[in-house]
Amino acid sequence: MSRQAILPRTAPFADNERASLDAVLGAATPIQRAWLAGFLAGLDAAGGQPAAAPAAPPKAAEPLTVLFASESGNSEKLAGDVGKLARKQGFKPKVVDFADLDLATLPKAGKIVAIAATWGEGEPPARAVRAYGELMGDAAPRLDGVEFAVLALGDTSYAEFCAIGKALDARFEALGGKRAAERADLDLDFDKPAADWIKATLKALAPAPADNVVAVDFARAGGAEDEDAEPSREPYLVEVVEHVNLNSSRSDKETIHLALAFEEGAPAYEPGDSLEIYPENDPQLVDEILKAAGLEGDEALRKALLSERDITTLSAATIERFVKATGHADAQKLIDSGEARAWIEGRQLIDLIETYPAKLTGEHLGAITRPLPPRAYSIASSRKEVGDEVHLTIAAVRYQTHGRARSGVTSVHVADRIRDGAKLRVRLKPNRHFRLPQDPATDIIMVGPGTGVAPFRAFVQERRATEASGRSWLFFGDRQFTHDFLYQLEWQEALEDGSLTKIDVAFSRDQPEKIYVQDRITQHAAELVSWLDGGAHLYVCGDAKNMARDVRAAVVKAYETTKGLSPADAEAQVATLERGHRYQQDVY
Amino acid sequence: MDDHSPRDAAETPAERTYETPPTERPITDAEAARAAALSANEHIKIASGYLRGTLADGLLKHATGAISEDDGQLVKFHGMYLQDDRDIRAERTRKKLDKAYSFMIRLRIAGGVVTPKQWLILDDIARTYAGNALRATTRQTFQYHGVIKSNLKRTMAAIDAALLDTIAACGDVNRNVMAATNPAQAGAHREALKLAKDISDSLLPKTSAWREIWLDGERVVGGEDAAEIEPVYGRTYLPRKFKTVVAVPPSNEVDIFAHDLGFIAILDKKNKLTGWNVTVGGGMGMTHGETDTFPRTADVMCFVEPADALKAAEAVMTVQRDWGNRKNRKNARLKYTIERYGLKAFRAEVEKRVGKPLADPKPFTFTGNGDRYGWVEGEDGRHHLTLYVPSGRIKDVEGGPQFLSGFRRIAEVHEGDFRLTGNQNVIIANVPAAKKAEIDALVAEYGLTNGAGALRRNALACVALPTCGLALAESERYLPDLVSELEESLASHGLADEDITIRSTGCPNGCARPFISEIGLVGRGPERYHLYLGAAFDGSRLSKLYREDVQASEIRGILDPLFADYAKNRQPGEHFGDFVIRAGHVAKTTNGPDFHDRTGALKPAA
Repeated sequence: MSRQAILPRTAPFADNERASLDAVLGAATPIQRAWLAGFLAGLDAAGGQPAAAPAAPPKAAEPLTVLFASESGNSEKLAGDVGKLARKQGFKPKVVDFADLDLATLPKAGKIVAIAATWGEGEPPARAVRAYGELMGDAAPRLDGVEFAVLALGDTSYAEFCAIGKALDARFEALGGKRAAERADLDLDFDKPAADWIKATLKALAPAPADNVVAVDFARAGGAEDEDAEPSREPYLVEVVEHVNLNSSRSDKETIHLALAFEEGAPAYEPGDSLEIYPENDPQLVDEILKAAGLEGDEALRKALLSERDITTLSAATIERFVKATGHADAQKLIDSGEARAWIEGRQLIDLIETYPAKLTGEHLGAITRPLPPRAYSIASSRKEVGDEVHLTIAAVRYQTHGRARSGVTSVHVADRIRDGAKLRVRLKPNRHFRLPQDPATDIIMVGPGTGVAPFRAFVQERRATEASGRSWLFFGDRQFTHDFLYQLEWQEALEDGSLTKIDVAFSRDQPEKIYVQDRITQHAAELVSWLDGGAHLYVCGDAKNMARDVRAAVVKAYETTKGLSPADAEAQVATLERGHRYQQDVY
Repeated sequence: MDDHSPRDAAETPAERTYETPPTERPITDAEAARAAALSANEHIKIASGYLRGTLADGLLKHATGAISEDDGQLVKFHGMYLQDDRDIRAERTRKKLDKAYSFMIRLRIAGGVVTPKQWLILDDIARTYAGNALRATTRQTFQYHGVIKSNLKRTMAAIDAALLDTIAACGDVNRNVMAATNPAQAGAHREALKLAKDISDSLLPKTSAWREIWLDGERVVGGEDAAEIEPVYGRTYLPRKFKTVVAVPPSNEVDIFAHDLGFIAILDKKNKLTGWNVTVGGGMGMTHGETDTFPRTADVMCFVEPADALKAAEAVMTVQRDWGNRKNRKNARLKYTIERYGLKAFRAEVEKRVGKPLADPKPFTFTGNGDRYGWVEGEDGRHHLTLYVPSGRIKDVEGGPQFLSGFRRIAEVHEGDFRLTGNQNVIIANVPAAKKAEIDALVAEYGLTNGAGALRRNALACVALPTCGLALAESERYLPDLVSELEESLASHGLADEDITIRSTGCPNGCARPFISEIGLVGRGPERYHLYLGAAFDGSRLSKLYREDVQASEIRGILDPLFADYAKNRQPGEHFGDFVIRAGHVAKTTNGPDFHDRTGALKPAA
């Protein structure tokens, strides 16, 4: 092992000390060295104790703006990682949510790392819509002299993979920015590649070797962020202690209530957080794939496909990888024809393999598929009420396409193959953008049809346990009152003990016309606006595609009708609520 | 064939002593009611503000499909019962679901006559809110099952649009008034129907609560003066339910002896109405194990001129209103009032209220209490088709008759009217001769039927499980299977064409009038029944408990030797119910008070 000698032999250290210092300094980046210089200067000035401020701040730390546009929290989490690492490397990072972004600050930002998720069919995350729109619009400021790098997150099972990250990357450049690192477009298994990209990008953004010492903020020097006591994100093996289908035996729906016991204590989750479940694939589908690929009997491969690979998602990339692995001419034709995207609709990997038969190897399958991602579910419990358990509310997804029964990987794994006493691997996924108000006296309005009601069960449990004085109002909806009223008995109890003040329900199939939660909001517009005027927070959880949009439109309309506002002014009222974090969404 | 001479009515033993009737109206003040230890329901009525209670608020409690317990009592007066699906009760708590509550809604259709236009609306309601089923009841009306709370007001609005209502279809009031349907006697039927309608209208509660709660009607502001709001009923209505029927001999299809109040048309030789015999004090309900509760056949009390009939009806009801037992609901019906004070005193009070002495009853003859199936031609040349509807369930049976769709199609082309019978069947009435073929074609197309085996067409079952909260055993879902078994047994003894009445209920409250059926089954527990025998075929005599608490699977084995004996030893024209008494298998019940005496099999059956 070669070691670069940095300290002269004349340095006032013993040999072994000098070797140790060489080991550290030799590997240090210019910024790290500058930081150390500043640190030592500050330490001396404070008489040997870490001082509140460095005595000699010869040069300010390099500012770095870390922007994130997050829906489910992944981008946000990575932005936090960037911030932490950047600080260690001597940057002065500022992590900014797109939701709070003031565009005028960008030209002065100097260096920008943007991490953006793409949602649904190529849309920005809900909270990022405003700032994203401004950035794309004519009034966006020039970014001459700004260095940037974009990390794009997406899901290859959607056609517009990483569309928002791609657009941001192009836009920064068009506005005059200088690309400091190439964009990476990452799929659901982003952990490792994201960490690599962050490391490389920060290196690229690092300033030229510092000829000076760097100011050290001693207030944070002790690793204040670590003291934030972030709950563990390590996977846990948990036991299923309650598994019950909440829908009646007369319902055509199936919603599983799952209670999971953490033997070693549940992670410190908060109402609003999610829990990720690591699923297993449907054994029957695994066997069908093995059969189609001519790999029956390969037990090791079967095991890997069961629990490690995503064997349902079919994307353009999957077909490309398939062609690359097999050289299948017909599949190549499908790509060349430009009709692959349409063909993918409603189809899965099994359809590809069956339509384009090819002798496959285990390696091929490994190359064609991506790792099996965990699936996040909003937590339906409060630790204050259930202790070391986590409760989830999971709707079994089953449907039929192209003559084949399909099922949601995780939801049907839970519904069909998990029972009381079974073990599941899970991981906490915090969501600090879906939080009860700080002040327990604040009123809350919760809109959660279907499984969207899950976090509100947690909210109501929490507010009961903490004896919060604020009022609460739940809008729930599903298909049939008699058969699909999730947690009906619990809501009755909550109304009785006061932890729930009001409930309004919308069951779409109980009468000739469809009634949805947004219709109930419209029906109670005046009262809803009066709650909001009184400072109430409004929460929406559930279907992103239609429900969340329709609910928002109904709230805007409620302002219009009750206050006589123009559509634009009513929209502004709701936008203000959103910016004040009083209109929060957890949608999927 | 039983002959009913006036002498029968005065069979009361001379030595019996009765209590002295009260002289004042019952206490309506809440506090005084408590002091007098009146039953819980009396307090509910007093506090209800003329049947309002907290129903309007209860409809706004969206987390529950139920209403409060007190409102559950009051809502009966509005024609509804809160029920829950007992088939799925067990799973509900585990699934964190409340009971599967819904409402039974019963209409008020005096005489059971509906127009085709009304039928179509009622059909729409069934398809939209009530699980695709209309149910013809044992009391000549329709009821819906499974209407959830959030749809109650819509359903009531639709009923209102059909110019019908549900007021007083249940509850402590004069309920739906039945009338003989026999269309062959067109003139008498018209009179019977008119009397039924007049009684229904004049004894209808006058409170505006129904319109207010269900149709968002204006609350009529006014004093709390009972004389103004409820001139007949007052704040406490009746002590218990009160059922009225109008019969036209020779058919006792309305089962007059099972009702609180009845009118029997007395016709002259030209079939012209001369007046009515008035019957009082019939009723089926009793409680297992409590011998001071019993079914009772009505007494034929007196004869009234047509002009006095309405007055007599009101007088009978108000005497019961004032004399009926309000402390104990199990002894509150008119039958107990008459047992307590005597028919003589009761009649005297009725005469006092009518304002004149009333004549003794005239002779009459009933030949049975079943329906006439198939086509008949009326005196006026119109045609009438009685169709058999098993247990009154008008629905489309998968792979079987399409009752709901079939009747709908008929209603679309039919120009006459429909009549519901007390035996849960439907008459397509007043069909011109030229239209008969078209109706027949639809009947065939939808698999409707104008008959069944002899036992089956004389069978009657209450609803029981899964919706009825009182049911101890299956009834409507079980009786068809038992009838199939018994028909085999009867056929083996050459009795396949013998008319024998058989009725079952899930509990002893008697909705299908099992105690005046030749074979009666009354639920005791899951798959367990009391077996009653010996009632008169025309419904004029009660049965007797023959075997206690038998397994459903044992019933055929118990009856088979009796059928064998009947086949071998009956006299010409002798009905099964009469035979088992004459042959000494079971003791004869003369009326309610001896219903519980000498029960059980008197000798081994074979």
